Amino acid sequence: MRLSVPVRLVLSAALVAALALVPAVFTTYFTSAVAVRALVFGLAAVSLTFLAAYGGIVSLAQTGLYGIAGFLMARFIVTNGMDPILAAVLAIAIAVMFGLLFGAIVSGSEGIYLLMITLALGVITYYFFSQSGSFGGHEGINGVSAPGFVGNPVTHPAAIYEVLLACSVIAYVGVRLLARTNFGLALQGVRDDPVRMRALGFNVRLHRTLAFAAGALIAGLAGVLGTWADTRISPGTIQVSQVIQLMTIAVIGGLYRIEGAWVGALVFTLLDTYTRGITARFETWIGIVLLVILILSPDGLTGLASRVFTLVRRRGGATPTPSSPTPADDAATVPDPEQVGTGSGQGQVAR
Amino acid sequence: MLTRRGPALLSWLLLAFAIVWVAIKAFGQGFGISGNGPQFVITALNGVSLAALYFITASGFTLIFGLMRVVNMAHGSLYLLGGYVALDLVNHGMGWWGAMVLAALITGAVGLLVHQALLRWNQGQDLRQALITIAVATILADQMIVHFGATPSSLTPPAELANSIGLGLYHLEYPVFRLFIIGAALVVALVLWLVIRFTRFGMIVRAGVDDRAMTSSLGINVPLVFGGAFFIGAALAGLGGVMGGTILSLAPGQDDQFLLSSLVVVIVGGLGSLRGAAVGALLLGLIEQLSAVYLPQQFTNDSILLTFILLVVVLAVRPQGLFGRRT
Amino acid sequence: MTATAAAPMLRSRGLSRYFGAVPALHGVDLEVLPGERRAILGPNGAGKSTLFNLIAGDLAPSEGTVELFGRDVTVLAVRKRARLGLGRTYQTSRVLGGLSVEDNLYLAVLGARRGHLRLLRGGSERAIRKRAREVAEQVGLADRQHAVAGSLSHGEQRQLEIGLALAPSPRLLMLDEPAAGLSRAERLSLTKMLLELDREVTLIIIEHDMDVALTVAEHVTMLHQGEKLLEGTPQEIRANKMVHDLYLGNTHGEG
Ligand SMILES: Nc1ncnc2c1ncn2[C@@H]1O[C@H](COP(=O)(O)OP(=O)(O)O)[C@@H](O)[C@H]1O
Ligand SMILES: [Mg+2]
Repeated sequence: MRLSVPVRLVLSAALVAALALVPAVFTTYFTSAVAVRALVFGLAAVSLTFLAAYGGIVSLAQTGLYGIAGFLMARFIVTNGMDPILAAVLAIAIAVMFGLLFGAIVSGSEGIYLLMITLALGVITYYFFSQSGSFGGHEGINGVSAPGFVGNPVTHPAAIYEVLLACSVIAYVGVRLLARTNFGLALQGVRDDPVRMRALGFNVRLHRTLAFAAGALIAGLAGVLGTWADTRISPGTIQVSQVIQLMTIAVIGGLYRIEGAWVGALVFTLLDTYTRGITARFETWIGIVLLVILILSPDGLTGLASRVFTLVRRRGGATPTPSSPTPADDAATVPDPEQVGTGSGQGQVAR
Repeated sequence: MLTRRGPALLSWLLLAFAIVWVAIKAFGQGFGISGNGPQFVITALNGVSLAALYFITASGFTLIFGLMRVVNMAHGSLYLLGGYVALDLVNHGMGWWGAMVLAALITGAVGLLVHQALLRWNQGQDLRQALITIAVATILADQMIVHFGATPSSLTPPAELANSIGLGLYHLEYPVFRLFIIGAALVVALVLWLVIRFTRFGMIVRAGVDDRAMTSSLGINVPLVFGGAFFIGAALAGLGGVMGGTILSLAPGQDDQFLLSSLVVVIVGGLGSLRGAAVGALLLGLIEQLSAVYLPQQFTNDSILLTFILLVVVLAVRPQGLFGRRT
Repeated sequence: MTATAAAPMLRSRGLSRYFGAVPALHGVDLEVLPGERRAILGPNGAGKSTLFNLIAGDLAPSEGTVELFGRDVTVLAVRKRARLGLGRTYQTSRVLGGLSVEDNLYLAVLGARRGHLRLLRGGSERAIRKRAREVAEQVGLADRQHAVAGSLSHGEQRQLEIGLALAPSPRLLMLDEPAAGLSRAERLSLTKMLLELDREVTLIIIEHDMDVALTVAEHVTMLHQGEKLLEGTPQEIRANKMVHDLYLGNTHGEG
């Protein structure tokens, strides 16, 4: 379904305004346990869905990049006594450098190869921070202070929530705008057919690498904000189960739609907050939820929603308009996991 | 143009530097018993036996991929499951050998079950399959905590392998069990090589690696072969778990450790290549053990970075791995 | 072939490619002059597509050299050959399935120009959009510009495939079986479009459909089992018995 642009803008603005009221309406507990965490997860997951939706890159290294930014900032603040904002900017910049490095490493691979290599990178990052002496070992780094305007995120989560909300909106708009630039369009071309893009004169690896850096920017931002919100970071934040958790969030929401990240994060956080009292085996249930979604609706909840929507509209008698404008930034046009799955090998001409 | 020259040259230099570095540290004070020679021999053997363990585990991973293009992200969980099952059997009075065989078979059966229930109907959707096995890994990891607890434990080697024997070098003694693992890895390598080289099953495995389209047109019971391969691959993970549970420990987190080692081994060696798995395992095992001893003191805690460098160097020179073929 | 004053657009010497021990192409010398219309004929598996892949760089040759526009490009990256002015289509369409027809063509035009990474004004650079629309018209997709490429019919995807090769205004255009799977009417309009092609563009076409191939081409190269069998004018080819034998009962294959 396609509403006109002004209508969509008004609706989006209303949604953001309503979300901004969450700390005023809900309890401090809800704001801090659900709303803040959902936005942190959402932002981290967007770095994944952005790469998947626009680059066809399914990366398990995003948690690692989150950790690089979080740990470095925490160390800059706690050990070096650096100003939190400066520390955050520096940490994000370094995470982006690592994004470039990781991107350069994986840009020659596709599909499951890429999935494996990024998982290895993510896990290595985890082991680095848990073993290295400079980052507090298993304990991690505690007592990370946020900038003054954030205050104490534990007792007064409203401020960090609003900061997170603003950053989420910026990330979302940024990604949508990026998708319409020359670079963004070419990235989507690389996603669809790297062989064709090469034959058109594009540097496929460069585009993938830069996309990875952009993803690292988002993941790094999430790492910085998440560490502020928690006032601490430990290797446990980026261990393998967390890598899988982030993937679960993205898959629940829909791997190939950037909005899916927030949907998945909200659903996950709600489950996490309110079912842990009912079941001691939360991890098992999350695994089962992931499994069921992969089996029934590989494009996640957002994919399910848009399919239901289409069905309802067909029933309603509206005819699909084949020549209606379908801008490329509409991720509904992105191939679903099945196609991407089989397509991972086809993009390569034997050498 | 499979190999890029500049990075290739650089990586050879890096390797040469590492060898010279270790050599100087080990034999800088001569080859006599008073020097660091004995320590080197033990460290190198530790590296090789760890590599043997990595190979046993990773060979199952690469076999499954080679045939079915399935990246089994639950491979580490199957490794840990094998160890735990053996531990349980031993605790119920079974001998180590019996427990090893039975644990491998049970792990194989679990793998087969996963394949039949979750992977058979979506053959070819490799990304979806990998994500499904991630979900399986999550469930297995949590359920293992339920059934086996979270406190580290380990298996005791059987009496006949529990001792150390003299190496006939520097009057050194070395645990028999670690030598046994090296032998076991050689046996696994030999059997897999013979099977892949000389049987119809192996022919399909090779066809799978070389040319997917051919596999189905060979007129062979493909589902049976796929199921069989998944069973064997998972059983190898379980076998690795029994061995690893005997020289290392069984605890939550070991599954991640061995998933990572399997990933690195096959990424470095080349997915689907048995020879690659052997070389990858040797590189990883030696790097891990040697770095613990020969890295300058202040970097000892950062030795994981060497694994990272290994990955980077190999992927920079040959994105498909040392023995991998690009399809 | 006698050399003329103009440097050849394409010259290959002893070009070979083995898959394992099997030669898909063996020792092929080829010379195509500016403005020429050359057809490459041969039965399925003759090595025609392999030849294209070697020229474009999608495959690395086992032996031999490739020169484009008077420059040795044997080890040059695919994208750099494209930017020298080489445009090609693939035997099975490689359109950018998730993007609209217009965005497909936009990227095709952009590929040959500067500013791949541009973030400002990007995505809507007027000159590029204008050229993209022209090409859409030229290949008969003017009224399908907003359709997602993956949703196009087979025939439309073939049209877009040619559009992608044409959009950057290449000096050398290589078409791999452009008429495969097209209806009679579609083939006629394809032939018409190729005949109207600017003489600035040199054309090499692989085509099983003799009507299309021999109408468009002035020069024909026959490949058989990876080797160059003969070369000549369409008249000579039509008259050749060997050609008839090879093509007997095989007017439109898939290989
Ligand atoms: N990637 C490849 N791997 C192995 N063999 C190939 C590959 N591509 C082509 N071939 C073989 O090379 C020969 C020539 O193929 P091709 O150039 O596609 O022929 P044509 O286009 O003339 O029909 C065929 O025998 C084909 O099987
Ligand atoms: Mg062909």
